[in-house]
Amino acid sequence: MTYQSRAQWQLRLILLPSAALLLALVIWPALYAVWLSFTNAALVGPGAANPRFVGLRNYARLVGDGDFWNSLMVTGLFVLGSAIIGQFVLGLVSAVLLNRPLRFRAVFNAIILLPNAVPEVVAGFLWISMLAGGERGVLSRIVMGLGLQPQDWLNTFPLTMIIVVNTWRGIATAMILLTAGLSSVPKEVHEAAVMDGAKPGQIFRMITLPLILPTIFLYMLISTVSTISIFGFVYALTRGGPGGATEILGIYLYNQSFTAYQLGYGAAVAVVSLVFSLIVGVIYVRALKVEV
Amino acid sequence: MAKRPQLMAYATLSLISAYCALPFFWAALASFDGNASLFLKWPEDWTTANYTRIFTVENGLTWFMNSLIVVGAATVLTMVLGGLGGYALSRSNAWWKRPFLYTILLIRVVPPPALIVPLYKVLLTANRAVQEVLRAVLPPDMLRPAMRVFGLVDGYLGMILILTALQLPLALWILKTFFDTVSRDYDEAALLDGASLMQRIRLVLLPLALPGLAAAGLFAFISAWGDFLMPLIFISSPELQMLPLGLFRAFLRVNTVDWGFLTALAVLYMVPSVVAFGFARGFLVRTFGGGVKG
Repeated sequence: MTYQSRAQWQLRLILLPSAALLLALVIWPALYAVWLSFTNAALVGPGAANPRFVGLRNYARLVGDGDFWNSLMVTGLFVLGSAIIGQFVLGLVSAVLLNRPLRFRAVFNAIILLPNAVPEVVAGFLWISMLAGGERGVLSRIVMGLGLQPQDWLNTFPLTMIIVVNTWRGIATAMILLTAGLSSVPKEVHEAAVMDGAKPGQIFRMITLPLILPTIFLYMLISTVSTISIFGFVYALTRGGPGGATEILGIYLYNQSFTAYQLGYGAAVAVVSLVFSLIVGVIYVRALKVEV
Repeated sequence: MAKRPQLMAYATLSLISAYCALPFFWAALASFDGNASLFLKWPEDWTTANYTRIFTVENGLTWFMNSLIVVGAATVLTMVLGGLGGYALSRSNAWWKRPFLYTILLIRVVPPPALIVPLYKVLLTANRAVQEVLRAVLPPDMLRPAMRVFGLVDGYLGMILILTALQLPLALWILKTFFDTVSRDYDEAALLDGASLMQRIRLVLLPLALPGLAAAGLFAFISAWGDFLMPLIFISSPELQMLPLGLFRAFLRVNTVDWGFLTALAVLYMVPSVVAFGFARGFLVRTFGGGVKG
């Protein structure tokens, strides 16, 4: 055996622990979910002892389940409101403004990054105070300053509020990625446009925006995928309520499996969200043109 | 001349910053307030009693130590496995390299909530096997303490492995791309000098890989430290409780919500991840795409 082929074998050996761990704790459970979704497995009752094969029954039930469609709808609006609109718009504004020479740039930058570092449950906890009902809550005091009525925010506008919180958490991600995109726009193009007498708004629309479009697309994919995975802070804040108004997919999955004890049905929901995420993932991998 | 665009820029940035910073003000002020409440106010009774209460009256120390043990071990394990695996993926020219890398990228988009049901069933079965083995080799009174360490459900080992598995794809990816930038000449030279695999890793690659390992470790730490779902599902014993659940359960005690204690705990909980995030900032852009260049 030559030393080179021995070295290649050693490479396999040192990759093995990682491969085994991912196989055991991610890939095997994902495949197992597919099998579970065709059974009546449950945490309690007859399905717990001897799960039976029930064919597509869980999926049929899924299609007819209003709560599932509600959860999809809520998740869609949540992704649209926070990842696609909120984080993106505020992240783009921050990136553009911080891309020019300003005083206190580092301070603004640090403050905007801060929410990104907060553990999920702390994020939920902090906003319980901000969104507290009555006249003494922070948001209520702010809107009263604008001449509006105070509200019991988490009960009156639950979905809007979790969008506000998620936007808060994610401005940093958008800002970082878009700053990277902006810095790749060549200075000469910008200068040439100024020479030709273009206004700042025109330059942004006609030059900057088209040039950072690939970055924007990349950001949309990443944030969509990561927003679908959210569980912690929404659970801490509302646990999906009131009345399912904030029951995003992660919470619906948890509720179906661990409070309704229906593992088979929960697995069917899991498979549907796995398939959806994988589709977005494949688009992402293709869009990146990853060189491996 | 005061430029209007300049002023607009400051005004806009100040508004965004206020949105970002306001929640922290409440936590920071209330944690030093002897009469803390749910509402933002300036403390009249400054005190550090809220912080000392975490360690004296409540189980704060237990939660903190558990989080530190589990997340610390998961971070180290992620760095070791990610370093070895990332090196292998960078240097290998086997046919499975490409499928393996695509699989890693796709694993990163899998939502963890979709995995909890099958993962729970898989680990419950494996946990019974672990229990049988331990029962066979240990005296009966040692079984429970041993299960707390080696248990896959409601035990340190299970939690460490789960958190490692979730952080590993990103770590492998970061380190693979990192090793791609390290010239192969180093390992070829060491190989020709007759260095064994362990010697090559220890003497040649480890010193070269330190920045990559640091980035992978920081991201693994931040993400595992903040995770709420996995401790919620897989830890039930009070003596194994970690910070996220300690905080969560404490604010569910509706009748006796102690805002001073809770905010102090929240501040204590977020400090390590904020510090780690400060160090990780410089690495942030490169990791997103796995290939976004510039």
